[in-house]
Amino acid sequence: MFSLGKIIIALIVIVLAPLLGGLIAGLDRKLTARLQGRYGPPIFQPFYDVLKLLGKKNHPMNKTQVFCVWIYFIAAVTSLFLFALQSDLLMIFFVMTIGAIFLVIGAKSTPSPFSQVGAQRELVQMLTYEPLLILVFVSIYFVTGSFNIADILKYPKPIFLTLPLIYLVLGFALTIKLRKSPFDISTSHHGHQEIVKGLLTEYSGPYLAMIEIAHWYEIMLILAICGLFWHTNLAALLIFLLITYLAEIFIDNLVARSTWRWMLAYVWGVGISLVFFNILFLYAYRFVS
Amino acid sequence: MDWKTLVLCTMAIPIGGAILSLLDVKAWRRLVVILTSIGISASAILLYLNGSFNLSSSQDLFFTKYNGLISVLDFLLLGYILYLGFKFKHVLIQILTGLQILLLALVEVLHVPTQTSPFFADKLSLMMVLIVSILGSLIAIYGLHYMDVHEEHLHLEKSKQSKFFFFLLLFLGAMNGLVLSNNLLWMYFFWEITTLCSFILIGHDQTEIAIKNSQQALWMNLLGGVAFVLGMLVLTLKHLPLELTSLLTLPISPLLLLALAFLCIAGFTKSAQLPFQSWLTGAMVAPTPVSALLHSSTMVNAGVYLILRLAPLYHKTLFAHYLAFIGAFTLIATSVLALSEKNGKKILAYSTIGNLGMIIACAGIGSPAAIGAGILLILFHAVSKGLLFMLMGYVEQLIGSRMIEDMRGLYDRYPLTSVLMAFGMITMFLPPFGALLSKWMIIESSAHNPIIIILLALGSAFTMVFWGKWIGIILGRTEPNPSKQEHNPMLIKASIYSTAFLALILSVAIIPIYTSIVLPTLKLYYHQTSYTLLFGSFKNEIGMFPVYPLFLVFGLGIIWTLAKLRTSSTKPSSLPYMAGLEAIQEDKFGFVGPIGKFVPFTAGNLYLQDYIGETKITFGINTIAIGTIIVALASVF
Amino acid sequence: MKFLEKFIKQGSLKSPWLLHFDCGSCNGCDIEILACLTPLYDVERFGIINTGNPKHADLLMVTGGINYRNMHALKNLYEQMLDPKIVMAIGACANSGGVFKDAYNILGGADKVIPVDVYVPGCPPKPEAIIDGVVEALGLLEQKTKSMELSHAR
Repeated sequence: MFSLGKIIIALIVIVLAPLLGGLIAGLDRKLTARLQGRYGPPIFQPFYDVLKLLGKKNHPMNKTQVFCVWIYFIAAVTSLFLFALQSDLLMIFFVMTIGAIFLVIGAKSTPSPFSQVGAQRELVQMLTYEPLLILVFVSIYFVTGSFNIADILKYPKPIFLTLPLIYLVLGFALTIKLRKSPFDISTSHHGHQEIVKGLLTEYSGPYLAMIEIAHWYEIMLILAICGLFWHTNLAALLIFLLITYLAEIFIDNLVARSTWRWMLAYVWGVGISLVFFNILFLYAYRFVS
Repeated sequence: MDWKTLVLCTMAIPIGGAILSLLDVKAWRRLVVILTSIGISASAILLYLNGSFNLSSSQDLFFTKYNGLISVLDFLLLGYILYLGFKFKHVLIQILTGLQILLLALVEVLHVPTQTSPFFADKLSLMMVLIVSILGSLIAIYGLHYMDVHEEHLHLEKSKQSKFFFFLLLFLGAMNGLVLSNNLLWMYFFWEITTLCSFILIGHDQTEIAIKNSQQALWMNLLGGVAFVLGMLVLTLKHLPLELTSLLTLPISPLLLLALAFLCIAGFTKSAQLPFQSWLTGAMVAPTPVSALLHSSTMVNAGVYLILRLAPLYHKTLFAHYLAFIGAFTLIATSVLALSEKNGKKILAYSTIGNLGMIIACAGIGSPAAIGAGILLILFHAVSKGLLFMLMGYVEQLIGSRMIEDMRGLYDRYPLTSVLMAFGMITMFLPPFGALLSKWMIIESSAHNPIIIILLALGSAFTMVFWGKWIGIILGRTEPNPSKQEHNPMLIKASIYSTAFLALILSVAIIPIYTSIVLPTLKLYYHQTSYTLLFGSFKNEIGMFPVYPLFLVFGLGIIWTLAKLRTSSTKPSSLPYMAGLEAIQEDKFGFVGPIGKFVPFTAGNLYLQDYIGETKITFGINTIAIGTIIVALASVF
Repeated sequence: MKFLEKFIKQGSLKSPWLLHFDCGSCNGCDIEILACLTPLYDVERFGIINTGNPKHADLLMVTGGINYRNMHALKNLYEQMLDPKIVMAIGACANSGGVFKDAYNILGGADKVIPVDVYVPGCPPKPEAIIDGVVEALGLLEQKTKSMELSHAR
């Protein structure tokens, strides 16, 4: 499991991941702009943003905040590293939550109303997507018989064919993680400013840059998990991910932001029903065949 | 030293210490408690190093001649509780105790004594002895400081501490006896001693609500006692042995299963599972050492210990499935309730009940991986929860409130205490610590059961929310010029710092713990193991968890970050963003509102008490729980 | 680190984030500023995002005249912004007080409270003029970044 070759590949992955993640974020903004009838920023804009932030003067609110940002960053990188090492999906998920929790703790440590509200909403977001992600991984286990990515990749057919509804559930988690409408309630992303920048209001300069880079790592991780659903053919995988991401962008531009109550009720209601029906279908399918 | 002496020590030393601490001199009491702690910990460690008991030699009949003594003491104890029932004019206590006396008499008369030793220990029992002795000692030491401050706050003229420590140390001896018991009659005796100790300790402050809650705890535990005796009665009527070692070799049959079901119900009441959780939440009125020791680390573990002990017998029966459902349902229900709570001790109580529910779910699922997870969870939960309760009590005495909303900005005044508290909470639900590893094991081993896995997934999501909320409150900074007031006394340092250190070390050393405690137990009862250990990770055919690598990465990361923070500038003077109107007045953050009036910063949290408050949903979840227990009982046939 | 410095300087020019503060303007200038963000003028092409948070912003656009109440807010916002930063006064009122210059409650333009780098005249200035001012501001930002010490995330 931890052979030297695999570790080297994983190190290469975590060096390239932020570059790819930033590029995807840039293409995201470009496409969103085009859909809104304007030119949009250059594709490398997220890199310019991060570089600019790195060059700003350091002025944190308190040391707890700084500590939490670092833990968030380390957790995001570690979870992607573990994914690249093809280890256990459930364990990767738990490592990811370390980062998410510490981001919330960092936001709650500041005496800023926007931070506090953003942190509460982030906790509700976590409450929403976490059980669904666990259920997605359990469904993958049902089909492939293992939680290990190495074993999942050996499965002969694309998982999407037997778990289409589960993929929709993963889509919910993807939307929440990417902070796209209707679920961008904790940071009011893309300059909507409902609660200024919510969770991220009191982060500035280099720390905001680190959060952005860690966010890219998380995007890559979630996209990689989506990619597990069609792992058999590389070209098909890329097209699959492209369609997924395009769908995310379209939905982002079409719908308005939801309230946290609606998000919790709707995502749980629809998500758990979809999981239930897909598992039911799996059992029936096995019973028949 | 042979095991018989050590077993005697683990019980005699605390009982001796209890009697000695009746002398009401403060220095003497401190000496007695500290010496008892050292003695009981040493005996526990030596007993553990001695290894599992081998019951083949004839010397093992040493304790059997005390069977008669235990029976007599048992009836005396029940008689005393009956007397208490009449004293408080509490009909339920009278009925339940009377029932127990009658049924116990039946059991004693019909029971044929065997020559099997009444004491036995495998690695699981030895782990329990270690938990009770070492953690119990640390909490008793903590109690020395806590009770002094407690009585000072209450302006008591005459100290009641001698009575307090008598029952606390007596309880430790009884717990040791309970986990080492092989004979169910002996276990029942120790079980009822713990019930009595719990009753007296909950009512220690003798306020109206303490008396009421202690009586509620008493009758609920007595209900468990009735179930226990009923279980023994069924076994006796069917001419089955009352020794666990003999029982565990028998094939399963409906009447045996019925007896086990009764014993499991006794375990439910002791561990405050649904629908019996109200005694535990009510017991939070007791002084905090009681909550830390009895109601999180040790006594409530007795119930799940019994259920886990019996797990090999009801493995793969329909009853086991219902058991798993009850456990998982308890987890999610209590996690939801904890989310709506503002009282810190109640949150900890609900979290305890939830974790115990997870252990019961492990026992119900019954696969070797699940049982191993249950054993590990007992250990890690006991240490982390004990730590959290001790800190909770200490913080309550510092700030004068147990509401978590009042703990905002704790870091400003008591940095080390708040960091330790945050650390305790992190060990409860984040990787790479042991409690999360157990949760990972449970989820992976229950993955084939859709209902259980949905309940577990939802339950664990809720736990993250309320822990995250609480940690955020504690580490919040609300003062522009924090005045650090922290002076932790020596007893607090000894107990709390040691427990925190223990929590860290145990999580790091989880692999040796697994090989030395869990693997032998699994081999003994299941003849198969669940995980292989490779490169410092747990690995089986469906998953893997790298323990040492994760500790290494995060440990190095944290050390590096802390080193950098230490060298960076100490006075960040940034104010929060409040639309340009931010200001500091009267040493508080805030903003200048309309007409120039200063509005200080306040914050709240989501509690959703209208949707998931205790009063709203308790009735519903209790009904579901009672229904499930009835169905589970019926399923034995 | 020298290598990264060059990229950071390039980044800071290509990603100026905006904080727009209305000190009491009639909203004419504000509408024109917001018009710049619309698809017709689309200043996001230059990487400009309207953040509402001084801690994230590089450019402060002030409109409206300064009075005794909002001068404190303006000062606070300016101080909360991280270096390097640029202040732009948009419209006649922010430049000098405009038609309200002699009113009893108006102190004058934004430069009475904070140092202003770029003045965009007009009542209201056209979006093209505002964009022109932003380009001017970016040039000044480059100079400020060069003269500022590079601070690391560490």
